[in-house]
Amino acid sequence: MLFLQLLANGLQVGAIYALTAAGFSLIFGSTKIFHFAHGATFAIAAYLFHFALAGLGMHWTFAVLLAAVSAVVFGILLDRLMYAPIQRHEGSFFTVFVASFGIGIVVQNLLGSVFGRGFMSVATPLSNSVEVIPGIYLSPLNGLAIVSAIICFAALHLFLTRTFVGKGMRALSENPELVRTFGLSPRRLSTYAFALGSLLVVPGAIFTAAGTGINPAVGHHVMLISLAATIVGGIGSLRGAACAGLLIGVAENLAMWKLGTQWSEAITFAILFFFIIFKPSGFFGRQTVS
Amino acid sequence: MTAYILNLLVLISVYAILSTTLNFIIGYAGIFSLAHAVFFGIGGYTAALVAMHVSPEFFVAIPIAMAAAAGTSLLLALPALRVRGEYFVAASLGLQVLAVTLFSEWKSFTGGIGGVIGIPSVELFGYPVYKPWQFLIISLICLAIIIVIIRTLVHTSFGRSLKAIRDSESAALASGKNITVIKTLSVVLSSSLAAVAGALYAFYMSFINVESFMLDTSVLVMAMVIIGGTATILGPLLGAGLLMLLPSALTYLWFLPQTEIGSIQQIVYGLAMVLLMIFRPGGIVSSHPGGGK
Repeated sequence: MLFLQLLANGLQVGAIYALTAAGFSLIFGSTKIFHFAHGATFAIAAYLFHFALAGLGMHWTFAVLLAAVSAVVFGILLDRLMYAPIQRHEGSFFTVFVASFGIGIVVQNLLGSVFGRGFMSVATPLSNSVEVIPGIYLSPLNGLAIVSAIICFAALHLFLTRTFVGKGMRALSENPELVRTFGLSPRRLSTYAFALGSLLVVPGAIFTAAGTGINPAVGHHVMLISLAATIVGGIGSLRGAACAGLLIGVAENLAMWKLGTQWSEAITFAILFFFIIFKPSGFFGRQTVS
Repeated sequence: MTAYILNLLVLISVYAILSTTLNFIIGYAGIFSLAHAVFFGIGGYTAALVAMHVSPEFFVAIPIAMAAAAGTSLLLALPALRVRGEYFVAASLGLQVLAVTLFSEWKSFTGGIGGVIGIPSVELFGYPVYKPWQFLIISLICLAIIIVIIRTLVHTSFGRSLKAIRDSESAALASGKNITVIKTLSVVLSSSLAAVAGALYAFYMSFINVESFMLDTSVLVMAMVIIGGTATILGPLLGAGLLMLLPSALTYLWFLPQTEIGSIQQIVYGLAMVLLMIFRPGGIVSSHPGGGK
């Protein structure tokens, strides 16, 4: 029974990880920017959603809208004000990573100072767990998280394969020079990638705020997980990131079955470490060693 | 007041050892590690256990601590040899997270969350060392020796090979450099020297627990190297001094809420990292003015 319960929790957490990792992978794949501050976007969306719903007493649709808008704006601002100037003069991996990491630290501490450092969670009518079959407790939120992840992935797939901008973004990841020759602006496509990638954290942020709860370090945690998922799945592969996110969510929860809660993060990173040493290209990745 | 300043100076020299040794792999070898606190920790725990169960002699505890860290560092060298850039950062993060879990769970070695208490004072040729100023002198001597070792190494053919690998691995390989050996040696050296800082820290505090060896510490040391300036001798020292003085300096700003000092300190160095990367990627003491690595 405990196994099934943990599996169900794992699927929900995995769905959230999959979406966040897909956002990171989309940005990294098409712009080659190692966007470590992606976790900060997640934390901002989650805190603003919580604040709008619990603090201001807004209707949930407005709270969702606020979270989505703030995530997208934050992503675009970082791209324009931080990554663009860095890439203009040099833009080595190292420089971009350090700047992005710095923003992550700033956001985490600002959120902690403004909203407090404790765990916060907002109760919604959907958060209450009911006993579905004896011993298994599920809340409507569990199902909703999984359904919305599936919808987001379907929409993302259609966008990337059917629309002009989507095709441009995929082209950007293959060959930026050709994109320029074709008359598209890599700069503008990069902004689109940031907007879309940041938008993908919103469902995860909302379900986390309404479910297990958030603290200022949540962005950091989520970032580590999406980084792990992106690499395990293969850099540049959205499908890989999604599968790996799901795998990590389930593994993390099943780890509690035999070991303690404190081992869940260690399990994720043991998987990551294993992949980096033995199969750095991940599930579906292109060969990128050295 | 003297005690306060002495304490600060000892901690600065311990962190200066950490930032100098991390700079050796970040700045010269181009290996970007977020796991430096792991070796700091291994050094600390090993030295504490040796002092408690074997001998509190400085020249016994330090070599054993260094050997333990050197052995573990092979785990870090393994991914460093196979992958570059973003993969290695992720691998070192993985090692750091795993190590924190082990540090807090492996109770017989680390005492768990509670840590190791009652570490005896260290002895130098049989004379116990426990006064802060004695510690300050020992840590400064260790720091000086480590700086000399690294400075000398950087100017030998080994150092030139390292820089060649950092700038272009395939070119170094083509000119006949044994990349495997060079990279492994640099990781092992950097980690074992970081263990010296761990041992000094354990003896000085006479109590250690996992809180000193978490990801935050790795990030702090990384910030010291980057803000001070990578691939320079002076940069990491300056970075360590600045970031260790920052909390005390902030307490003098009366208008800041005292409970938020920790956060404000992190915000300041986070912002410093962002601004430096945009305007001066080489750090304050830049080896390539106006840009470069």
